[in-house]
Amino acid sequence: MSRAGLVLWRLLQIVPTFLLIGVTIFVLARLLPGDPVSAMLGDRASDEAVNRLRQQMGFDRSILTQFVLFIEGIARGDFGSSTAYRIPVTQLIGERLPVTITLTALATVIALVFAVPLAFVAAVKANRWPDFLIRGVFQVGLSSPVFYVGLILLTVFAAWLRWFPVGGYGETLGDKLWHLFLPALTLALSFSAIIMRNLRAAILEVLTAEFVDFARSKGLAQRIILFRHVLRNALVSTVTLVGLHAGSLLGGAVITESVFAVPGVGRLMVDSIFARDYPVIQALTLVLAVVVSLAFLVTDLIQMALDPRVAR
Amino acid sequence: MAIRRTFLKTSFAALAIAAGLGTLTMPADAATRGGKMVYARYADSLFLDPVLNDANVDIWVLTNLYDTLLQPTNDGVGVQPGLATKWETAADAKSLTLTLRQGVKFADGSAMTADDVKWSLDRARDPKAGAWSSSLASIDSIAVSGETVTLKLKNPDPTLIPALATFNAAILPQKLFEATPGATPEEKAKAFAEKPIGTGPFMLTSWKRNQSMTLKRNPYYWKAGEDGKALPYLDELEFQIIPDDATRLLKLKAGEVDGTEFIPYARVKELQGDPSLRMELWPSTRVRYLTFYCGPTFKDGKANPLSNVKVRQALNYAVNKDAIIAITTLGLGKPMRSYMSSTTPLFSGQDLYKYDVAKAKALLAEAGFANGFETSIYSLSGNGDDSNDLAAVQQMWAQVGVKLRIDQVDNPTRTARYREENFAMRTSAWTNDISDPSQITSYFAYWPNIHSLHSNWQDKRVDELFEKSQQETDAKARAAEYQEIQQRYNEAAPIVYLYETPYPVAFRKNAKGFVQIPLGNNLFEAAYVEK
Repeated sequence: MSRAGLVLWRLLQIVPTFLLIGVTIFVLARLLPGDPVSAMLGDRASDEAVNRLRQQMGFDRSILTQFVLFIEGIARGDFGSSTAYRIPVTQLIGERLPVTITLTALATVIALVFAVPLAFVAAVKANRWPDFLIRGVFQVGLSSPVFYVGLILLTVFAAWLRWFPVGGYGETLGDKLWHLFLPALTLALSFSAIIMRNLRAAILEVLTAEFVDFARSKGLAQRIILFRHVLRNALVSTVTLVGLHAGSLLGGAVITESVFAVPGVGRLMVDSIFARDYPVIQALTLVLAVVVSLAFLVTDLIQMALDPRVAR
Repeated sequence: MAIRRTFLKTSFAALAIAAGLGTLTMPADAATRGGKMVYARYADSLFLDPVLNDANVDIWVLTNLYDTLLQPTNDGVGVQPGLATKWETAADAKSLTLTLRQGVKFADGSAMTADDVKWSLDRARDPKAGAWSSSLASIDSIAVSGETVTLKLKNPDPTLIPALATFNAAILPQKLFEATPGATPEEKAKAFAEKPIGTGPFMLTSWKRNQSMTLKRNPYYWKAGEDGKALPYLDELEFQIIPDDATRLLKLKAGEVDGTEFIPYARVKELQGDPSLRMELWPSTRVRYLTFYCGPTFKDGKANPLSNVKVRQALNYAVNKDAIIAITTLGLGKPMRSYMSSTTPLFSGQDLYKYDVAKAKALLAEAGFANGFETSIYSLSGNGDDSNDLAAVQQMWAQVGVKLRIDQVDNPTRTARYREENFAMRTSAWTNDISDPSQITSYFAYWPNIHSLHSNWQDKRVDELFEKSQQETDAKARAAEYQEIQQRYNEAAPIVYLYETPYPVAFRKNAKGFVQIPLGNNLFEAAYVEK
């Protein structure tokens, strides 16, 4: 399939995914005990007040009617208003989505910057001390809970050394990136451990491939063999891994954004679930589904570039 | 018609009038004018409309943007002049006449008029408006004439004066509100809440939800500072939203914020020992308790041991409140002595259910549960106070043979089970919003409102006393009614009495003048940061 064909096909595939997730989250949200109105009014409200507001907001209608109205709204580009914040969902998500995407992208870059060179060293020096050291350190990163790592980084690099601000978010682009560095690093630590282990194994496998022996027998320099032949082939599986992890990286952002007080969609999702803010839960799930689908698409495109066989 | 002045705290109000302004806790040293204070909050506001929303995260900001005709005193038990300088109750107690403060302006420079007052109160008392409209339900009609506003009442209402000092009775600018775009009053309210204009010390200039809120000084504010010039001292007040407790404290220690709220009890000692900080513990009306379901059977038809008053008393005797206070609040709390906090007006509590395992066992035996029973409680997952309290209660009750299962759920789930009255027990906390015992009593003890905290406990005598007290014009008689209500309730024990706690806030040493009153209101009007 041609590249354009693949892109078109994948974009079409998003449509049924979108519908399936839409139905699922719509029902799931309503299966949770409580509803937006009782979450809004809290413990004190009388039944009368709850029923009145429920009626005003249309949550007293049948789930099917609510679903039809929801789909009609989407068709008009209207995702409704947040029940907790009483502002349009699109505005609420529009303000936060770029924050979380920047955070996860930055985390991915940091993870790759750490993992790729060290995986190389670990593979080339396999089962010697640099390999053990690298694997050992990454093992700690992999097994540490995200909120704990976050707090330690905050305490050391922000509160003591004052290199970074203690959480929050900035105004200008530079300021924002500066605020996002520590949360991105927190997310990157466990992620880079996964990439490193995967890439190291891939490199070891490729090193035993016949084409590498052939390249050696041609008398190519070790550097050219490693970079042009080994790394390129080993990276194919790593790219897949990074792409597949886009979803879990967004999941990790939920905790990181709370610890670092970053106003992204991860925190919004948690807050919305606690507020039973159906319109936000629904819209955000759909938006994240699209983001993950697009991440998979980009992954495939990169794979095609690295390994033309994938395109066939 | 003979007119007589009634003040909730006569001497105090007279003093306040003489001074021409409310009592502010004035620091001894001269306040610094200008500059900016940054205060970290644990959660963002949701909707800044005083009538349509009543979450604490909203109220605590609203009281910095809007004023009420009267204001709660800083000790939370009385009222003092606000936008009204005088108030007089008619002899038949069927009308209240208020004299407005002269020359008050909204933050946009337009004059506040009696028409704004009438319009705002009419909006607040519209039964369709919000849960709080009932606090102004005794008003029959509002008449204005020059600088006076007369409230004609359907019946005498001793709670009306404190109700006029409560957030929902805030005065909004009618013309600006009506000129706000929107087809319906709800749409206008939404739009106006994005850019609220009031007579309060500050005005909202920017709001990035879940991130920060910037308030600028209202140049027309009517209250004067200790230097004789208009308050507030600060040019700018910024709220930053930092949900994580540990991160908020790190930010305070690093000097990135000047103050922060909800310090975990476990960290209070550490902050008290930090020379760069000042730990403040403000008296509050907050009580922590466990609610029993007291109906004869549960939703599944099984008999409910908690419907027996002896069982409820036994479980109270089996709880060592002092130990729990030491565990959860590290000694910062104090035992509850009535269902209402000791800071509530007309509180008449005394020591309740002193820890006594033998008595608890005897009462259980009398009730036919000599071998104990099994019960369960809904608690909030991830809430440290809940886990600490319940771990202790679980062990204490095990000593009298009662096995407690702890079901950790999220808040909406707990609320849903509560509304359905489908629970055996639940964890709870309460804070008053009004300087009168009627609010808490209508929820805890008066069955017709919400079935006494959905416990389904009912004492017809208490209901009768409460209804009487709501129209009682004689202060002594009202106090006696409240004494009997408290005594009957506390003996029936529809709750497990735990503890009262203060509001723990902390500031950098140079950030001063903040006040949190027992009702929770955050007052920044006299706050300043020394250079």
